[in-house]
Amino acid sequence: MKAVIIGNSAASLAAAEAFRRYDRASELTLLAAEAGPAYSRVLLPYYLRGSLPRERLFIRGDADYRCLDARTAFGRAVTRVDDRRRTLTLADGEELAWDRLLVASGTRPVLPRVRDLEGPGIHTLWTLQDADRLLPELLPGRRAVFIGSGFVSLQAAWAACVRGLRVTVLEALPRVLPKVLDQTASALLEARMRGHGADVRCAVGIERVERPAGRTPLRVVLSCEDPNVDADLVVVGAGVRPNLSFLEGTAVRVEAGGIPVDERMRTGVLGIYAAGDAALGPSVFGEAHAAHALWPTAVEQGRVAGANMAGHERVYAGSLNMNVAEMYGLTVASMGRFLENGDPAEEAVVEHDPRTGRYVKLLFRGGVPLGGVVLGTPEDLAVLAALRPRIRAGRKARLVPAEPFGGLHRTLALKASRR
Amino acid sequence: MRIVTMDPEICVACRNCEYACAFKQAGTFERRDSNIRVSFYPQERVCIPGTCVHCEEPWCLEVCPAAAIGRNPETGAVEIDPDRCAGCKMCMLACPYGAIRFDAKARVARKCDLCGGDPQCVKFCISGALQFVEAEEAFAFRRTSLDAKLTDLLGLAKGGRR
Repeated sequence: MKAVIIGNSAASLAAAEAFRRYDRASELTLLAAEAGPAYSRVLLPYYLRGSLPRERLFIRGDADYRCLDARTAFGRAVTRVDDRRRTLTLADGEELAWDRLLVASGTRPVLPRVRDLEGPGIHTLWTLQDADRLLPELLPGRRAVFIGSGFVSLQAAWAACVRGLRVTVLEALPRVLPKVLDQTASALLEARMRGHGADVRCAVGIERVERPAGRTPLRVVLSCEDPNVDADLVVVGAGVRPNLSFLEGTAVRVEAGGIPVDERMRTGVLGIYAAGDAALGPSVFGEAHAAHALWPTAVEQGRVAGANMAGHERVYAGSLNMNVAEMYGLTVASMGRFLENGDPAEEAVVEHDPRTGRYVKLLFRGGVPLGGVVLGTPEDLAVLAALRPRIRAGRKARLVPAEPFGGLHRTLALKASRR
Repeated sequence: MRIVTMDPEICVACRNCEYACAFKQAGTFERRDSNIRVSFYPQERVCIPGTCVHCEEPWCLEVCPAAAIGRNPETGAVEIDPDRCAGCKMCMLACPYGAIRFDAKARVARKCDLCGGDPQCVKFCISGALQFVEAEEAFAFRRTSLDAKLTDLLGLAKGGRR
């Protein structure tokens, strides 16, 4: 049997490793458009900030691929998949046969439709190549504009702050990190960023980019009353699209956000699986096709896909979104559902210390934890971590609201004594 | 492999394990340098030692985006390589037992490495609450059963029934 994996990151590696756990005999090939051994995208902001040397970004070496007994073809993009003949074609014309195919090709950044948002000085931050291009531009005193306020953007903005640039963050929505934080936490983080000298503007539209003096500096012209922003560089982090053009002409269903898959990561076309950022899989909250483009989800989906490709039936319990990063000296994290939706059975337990900026919120419904938000210290993560298995299982886990976080074990013991 | 088991019913919160760990791991007697934590709740009269149980399928190891967590082939311990760790804290969010701490000075995550097969916390435990036993023999010691035990203990302390 021939197994081919398109991709060389979290989902692909987890899949290859799971596949080999059950099948040492079949041929296994890993393909990726990007060159070189696998590196970790999650770590790129750390590299920009100077807290991690470049060589530490690489998470697998030649020995690891040898250990997997995998053939690798990195730096060679897949251009076409034929699901009837069960072959695929690489950019250099080589044709490969497959019996099981995993599509874990990830996503790429898209630029918002803004006039003249292209050319010198405009960056994205997605690949190692992007980071390598951006790093030498992060010089003290320069003006950097970050468009979009997702996790990567904000961490990159922090890196620029640390390196002494003058930073502006432009967000189209009314608050920063809208997918990761609740309203209060966003406001607290914005205040923190401003305290570090960053110019944070939310609910702004961008009209166009001008180059009054030729190449650079750039002028970002806003469509609202805010004054326009002059910049030496612009970093765009305003969304991604899956890399799936090679599936055109196949029977694989491709939606805007990716490939819908079932709980075994099957696409519906026999022999073709999908995992990672390019897949839309089941979530713990019962959604059939959720877009949780996150490292842990990719690892979990990869493991499920790899096992199933090797003929070992394994069912995914669903993804649970979780995020963590450090920004401006704050540990910022969230997990699961943390926004109230007006259901009277919902109850938010909040601890907020305005003096230190610490904010911890846990959301419950009928005593079952749904998720939470943390803005604080690394120690505050323990409460979210302890709740994770209970969120997954939908198990009751009530806190005594008067002493919500009086120690991790109170959280674990919960209200059992009152039951 | 052998793991450290913890019995909160026997623990007396002397904190010897914490000091022994800190001394071995960091050469200090600072509790914050210890990879084992004793949570003490005087009101409930409960003390709970907590350290890594080196899970069969460690999720911290799986999700580490820096490939910094691995299993020591000799001791079986799940270990963090501080040179590879980027300090992203994903493992801390992954570990439901709170067994991973953050070293604010070195900006890396730290956890129990079984002291290379000779855990100092067990050596200096005065009550016998910590034991270093074969993982197979420790089957009775499951985190779920520990959770249940904690629930019982706290319930009892609050005047509940067992």
